[in-house]
Amino acid sequence: MFHFSFKSLLGVVMMFVIFSGNISAQDGAKLFKQNCAVCHSSHTSQKITGPGLAGVFDRAPKGDWINKWILNSEKTIKSGDAYANKIFAENNKSAMTVFEGQLTPKDIESIIGFIKGPAPVVAGPAGATKGPEGEGEAVKPGIDPLFFTLGLVVILAILITTFRSVRMSMQNNANRVEGKPENPDVTFFEEAKGWISGHRRLVGVLCIVIGFMGMKSCWDACFDIGVYYDWETQKGYHPSQPIKFSHKIHAGDNEIACQYCHNTVEKSRHAGIPSVNVCMNCHKGITKTANAGSEKEIGKIYAAAGFDVASGKYDDSKTNPLTWLKVHNLPDHVYFNHSQHVVVGKLDCANCHGDVKKMTTVEQRAPLTMKWCIECHRKTEVAMEGNAYYDRLHKALKEKYKGHYDVKFTVDKIGGLECAKCHY
Amino acid sequence: MSMSKKYWRGLSELNESPEFLKQHQTEFAEPLPIDEFLNGEEEKSGTSRRDFLKVMGFSTAAVALAACETPVNKAIPYVVKPEEVTPGVANFYASTFYDGHDYASVLVKTREGRPVKIEGNELSKVSYGATSARVQASILSLYDGARLVGPVVKGSYSTWKNADEIVGKAIGSGNTVILTSSIISPTTKAVVAEFTAKHPNTKHVTYDAVSYSALNAANKNVFGKAVVSSYNFNKAKTIVGIACDFLGTWLNPIEFANQYSKTRKVSKENPVMSKHYHFEANMSLTGANADYRYMVKPSEYGKAVTALYNEVASATGNAKVSGDTKLSNPESEKAILKVAKELVENKGNSLVVSGANDEGVQTLVNGINKMLDNYGKTVDHVNHFNLKQANDKEFVDLVADMNAGKVSVLMTCNCNPVYTSPASLKFGDAYKKVGTKISFSQVLDETSTMADVVCPDNHYLESWNDANPRAGHFSLQQPTINPIFSAPRYEGTRQFQDSLLAWSGVRSNYYTYLQAYWQNHVFPQQGKYLDFASFWAHTLHDGVLKVNIAKEIPVVVMAKDSAGMPIMSGVASLNAIDTAKTEVAQPTTNIVPEILPTPDYNKAASMATSVKGGAFELAVYEKIGLGNGNQSNNPWLMELPDPISKVTWDNYITMAPADVKAMGLNEMLRQDIIGTVATLSVNGVTVNVPVLPQPGQMPGTIGLALGYGRNAKNLKVADGVGVNAFWFLNISNDTIQFGSPSVTITKTEETHKFSATQIQHTIMGREEAILREVSLKEFKEKEKEEWNPATMMQTHEGKVPIAEVDLWKDYPRMNHKWGLSIDMTSCIGCAACVVACGVENNVATVGKLEISRTRDMYWLRIDRYYSSDMNKEKGAEEKVAYKQIYLDMETPSNNPKVTFQPIMCQHCNHAPCETVCPVLATSHSGEGLNMMTYNRCIGTRYCANNCPFKVRRFNWFNYNANPLFANVNPAQQELGRMVLNPDVVVRSRGVMEKCSMCQQRIQAGKLEAKKAMAPVVDGAIKTACQQACPTNAIMFGDVNDENSEIAKWRANERNYFLLEDLGVKPTVSYLVKVRNQEEPVLREEGNKTEEKHEEKTEEKHA
Repeated sequence: MFHFSFKSLLGVVMMFVIFSGNISAQDGAKLFKQNCAVCHSSHTSQKITGPGLAGVFDRAPKGDWINKWILNSEKTIKSGDAYANKIFAENNKSAMTVFEGQLTPKDIESIIGFIKGPAPVVAGPAGATKGPEGEGEAVKPGIDPLFFTLGLVVILAILITTFRSVRMSMQNNANRVEGKPENPDVTFFEEAKGWISGHRRLVGVLCIVIGFMGMKSCWDACFDIGVYYDWETQKGYHPSQPIKFSHKIHAGDNEIACQYCHNTVEKSRHAGIPSVNVCMNCHKGITKTANAGSEKEIGKIYAAAGFDVASGKYDDSKTNPLTWLKVHNLPDHVYFNHSQHVVVGKLDCANCHGDVKKMTTVEQRAPLTMKWCIECHRKTEVAMEGNAYYDRLHKALKEKYKGHYDVKFTVDKIGGLECAKCHY
Repeated sequence: MSMSKKYWRGLSELNESPEFLKQHQTEFAEPLPIDEFLNGEEEKSGTSRRDFLKVMGFSTAAVALAACETPVNKAIPYVVKPEEVTPGVANFYASTFYDGHDYASVLVKTREGRPVKIEGNELSKVSYGATSARVQASILSLYDGARLVGPVVKGSYSTWKNADEIVGKAIGSGNTVILTSSIISPTTKAVVAEFTAKHPNTKHVTYDAVSYSALNAANKNVFGKAVVSSYNFNKAKTIVGIACDFLGTWLNPIEFANQYSKTRKVSKENPVMSKHYHFEANMSLTGANADYRYMVKPSEYGKAVTALYNEVASATGNAKVSGDTKLSNPESEKAILKVAKELVENKGNSLVVSGANDEGVQTLVNGINKMLDNYGKTVDHVNHFNLKQANDKEFVDLVADMNAGKVSVLMTCNCNPVYTSPASLKFGDAYKKVGTKISFSQVLDETSTMADVVCPDNHYLESWNDANPRAGHFSLQQPTINPIFSAPRYEGTRQFQDSLLAWSGVRSNYYTYLQAYWQNHVFPQQGKYLDFASFWAHTLHDGVLKVNIAKEIPVVVMAKDSAGMPIMSGVASLNAIDTAKTEVAQPTTNIVPEILPTPDYNKAASMATSVKGGAFELAVYEKIGLGNGNQSNNPWLMELPDPISKVTWDNYITMAPADVKAMGLNEMLRQDIIGTVATLSVNGVTVNVPVLPQPGQMPGTIGLALGYGRNAKNLKVADGVGVNAFWFLNISNDTIQFGSPSVTITKTEETHKFSATQIQHTIMGREEAILREVSLKEFKEKEKEEWNPATMMQTHEGKVPIAEVDLWKDYPRMNHKWGLSIDMTSCIGCAACVVACGVENNVATVGKLEISRTRDMYWLRIDRYYSSDMNKEKGAEEKVAYKQIYLDMETPSNNPKVTFQPIMCQHCNHAPCETVCPVLATSHSGEGLNMMTYNRCIGTRYCANNCPFKVRRFNWFNYNANPLFANVNPAQQELGRMVLNPDVVVRSRGVMEKCSMCQQRIQAGKLEAKKAMAPVVDGAIKTACQQACPTNAIMFGDVNDENSEIAKWRANERNYFLLEDLGVKPTVSYLVKVRNQEEPVLREEGNKTEEKHEEKTEEKHA
């Protein structure tokens, strides 16, 4: 909870100092994200579609030129404004969206306020955006622990053998000097055996410890190959994905709606894994964040999309689809339709997927067993009011349960437990 | 979104060691000594019970271990998702099916970019949203593993550059002939013209394997133009067919079946239907549906037509023709008089059609229709078909030219003459004499195997094209998938037109060329859209275009700009705008050529009657499944039971049962399926073919189906199945005759086991419970109770309708109550539904052997019943021995009446299968459907035993993985698997399956309604069988919805349920078949005896 680093603490204090009493900068950040971030970087000079906005207030003509430009850039260009035409030409003559009617002057003011302010600390370990559970640990670069351990073992083994032979020869030397008989030339194993029989209790405890450690590592290894916490239900399955994509950063900290990426959830049986071009909508500009290793991970998107950051161009011949690991697996003999549950049943994603907004690595929270489906179907009421499809059924049900006290028209009452509703 | 996973269960599998591969396919590690065990010989064999248990124990453990998989599922999203693709949601694209044989405007259902189903395009006025078995099955040829993946030069794969070089050199060297089947694409014709313009020594010859040359010639004789007329069966009150299978295979059967059924939608309010007379030698699908069918020898078709001509001529005051009109079947001769009388009575509303490829016959038929004033009404030679353009003489001349060495380059496209030409023509030998042989075949078939260069064409689902099937009707073909075989993985296929354009030096691809051609020549014919872009977009969306004034599309070379690109210059026609506004009815009779030739009917008659028949005449026919054989590598069509004989995976001689008996061949009485093999020889060609006794076959004639006997190693499904009937085609009067007037048949000692899905032929006196029929006269005159009586049950309160008696409590169907009804009057048994059902529901094909063990997997079958001469009453009258009555009842009549009855799961509301399932794997839904849960099923098969309709199918093998079925089951091939419907589970070994009434479509339709917050619209949900049906004989809907079509069908007095006396309360109902015949179908006697019987039981109860 209180693991605030000095830097982040400073950030919070700074922000507090600068923006106290200026709530519009918070709105500005949000508005910028919604309207501008696809084409502009707010605090760097990196060019996305439009130029980076660092230092824009020094470059651009003073006065309310910027406000006019934002509201209707086309008009400004047509008016023959020299600077407007210059940057229009500089940016391959791609016109900026006209925001007249979409943004109020006050909105623009707050956006400008945001741009003028200090660079926001992008989601990551920085305190300002850090979740209370501190889940979003950064990726530490370094040696793979396995190689590290193996290396240690090898070094230890070499040391032990060396020390043993040194000790033996020294002891024998001493014995020779003292006139005692030399130690018998026992092998390492014989000696070890002797030592073990002398330290049975210690060896026993060690064995148990090593045994447990072995079991633990097997257990952990099982996760990677898909043997799960709950072997019956796969609940808790959280495979490592080809990109260390964090739902927490995207859906949680940045409040991107689930449907933005999983955009077929209301149309299809599949919620849909976003295609790489959806990632590129934002990541064309966001090349790195404050998180360590973010550049490498975001780079994987560019590699998949065939995008060259330096030139800002796509090369269709270099695309390379990403292979994600499916977390929520239903057997082939089940037909499940997302749109049925999201559109008709009006269920929230979190109902089945848990609080994804807090998950760095997505894991399966619901057991996804038939029992679980049925339990939910037994207790979930069907929203029949206002949906003309259900009118006839609703009438018939009311007739059937006339006089019953407190009857709920749950999914099972309209055939939600029938086999062929999901198996065909 | 595609997923793939690969696991291995041990190093041996990873390395694919031979031991593993062997073990992997067998259930047990070593063969179980079951026989010895059961014989009590374990002592002797040295295998003790202990060993047995050990083996069992080991295999149990092995199975448990094998199940320990690590299900890491992968998901690979698009890099850039195409806008129109939503994973999990199907897209439909309008396109056109035309393979040189059948035409249909279709919608292609694609899932995640791969076509998975073909459905009819309801906007089409040529195919009316209907499909046929062959059209439905055509999707599988896209995923045929035999398809070539690149150009083949001298038998091995090469590059396009190399192929183009060889062709380029060859076409400069001498005479080039492009041999194609009928081309109905105006743009393709223009492309051929481009090629001809570039290489002036080129000739285009059209050759149809199943030729309609005589029809073209006859129309030239009578109307001065060699075209094939179109027909309006829906306007005909009397239809006469002479050897013309217009419901199954002739010309454009999809449209004809649709039109024909429109004349047969009979109800109490509108008790009118067409009357159909049919004359033929083989029992065809059309003959089986005729109200009256007469048997005529093929050599006498001409005589029958001449007789009919003379009768009509004398009744209408026209001149008679001279010719022999004596028929060997007196019944047919008598019928001609009756038919002629009726035709003349319905002058202007009648139709005579013949399928004989004989100029004389067809000229006379034209003459009859002309005398009957049918032109412009039921026959239309102005808005003619373009489907069949071949002139047989050109083909015969071509072979002569080839033999004479006059052809240096021969390009064959969409035809396979080495396989389909008559043996007497010796095309193969002539082909060898051609300098450079170029084929555009998609597979290595008989012709392309011999070709020097094979430039594989794209599949029709991968191609752009257009079609002009009938004057004034256009349709577009668009690719629904990128060419499967394309760079960089393969050298790739290339569309025929693109190849020709490349060789003509036109610097445009075919798509651009097509658009340009449409802008210049089709766009100006319409006035609805003023700019070409929206015209193109809308036409592509609809798939079809009908213009009001049909002009010939010129076959011209297009003007090109300096870059070699075609110039687009067409503008919308202002004339057409006016007509479009006023919606003028299509002028049909107005445009009559000014000067008509004077047809010489006497010459035609002498030509038609000149054929002399021998002891046995051969009539070669097309099967519903295989047609001309261009799709014979398709296991769905190979396994499709012939609608008449019900035999699968075979062709055979059909012979009249009397002839079979006389020759001492196996009569295959009752349920015997072993036939005798006979030697058939015609003009020196001799083959051994099994003989199948076929009721309705004219004695003295035999039939043999086309499309079998393929001789191409790559066509794994078709190679070596049956014999090639094309050999026996006969050329006379410059036309290809489908048969031979004189053949010899000799018996051999060999026998052949047939695989048939139905081995019973007659209904055995159970008409009332299963197959209710009535004549139109009785239907009109008698009360419903007499021809469709309610099934009664004897209770202690007296007789009550069975519908009121119930052993079980009824459950309310509060929301939907699905129902399906089948109009047996409309059903023609064409089997489009059977194939559609299989495609939609991933039904496995099982191969010949399994079918002979009655293990076919069809969820929907069509039962075919022949009438029998014997019945109980007749037997009692004639004092036939009791047992003999039943034996005779099993034997069909010589020329039986035929009834088709599609049977699928009847979804009984009191289902007998449900009560016997020990694990509740089959249960009933609140919407009235019988549900089958595969994962619960343990395979006891009690349900199948208890099913009164025998519609349950058991998976005896894992058809999708077992190597026994590798060739017959497309699901086993990497590519073939693509055709599976992703919404339906692929069943595994040991489970029962059956019709789900397309549960996936019902659920999808309900979901659409729920999302739209509106009730389900009647007709929005269609089952696959209903969708495919060309005659609208199947109706599905919500019976609870009072305004639905199905509710109306249920209220129809013809409605009845199968085996209603069992009290199982089926969800599927049938509408009584009405036959337009004078003779009563009902037997007064039968009802009386039954009543007597019932009285007796009453007495007993008393």
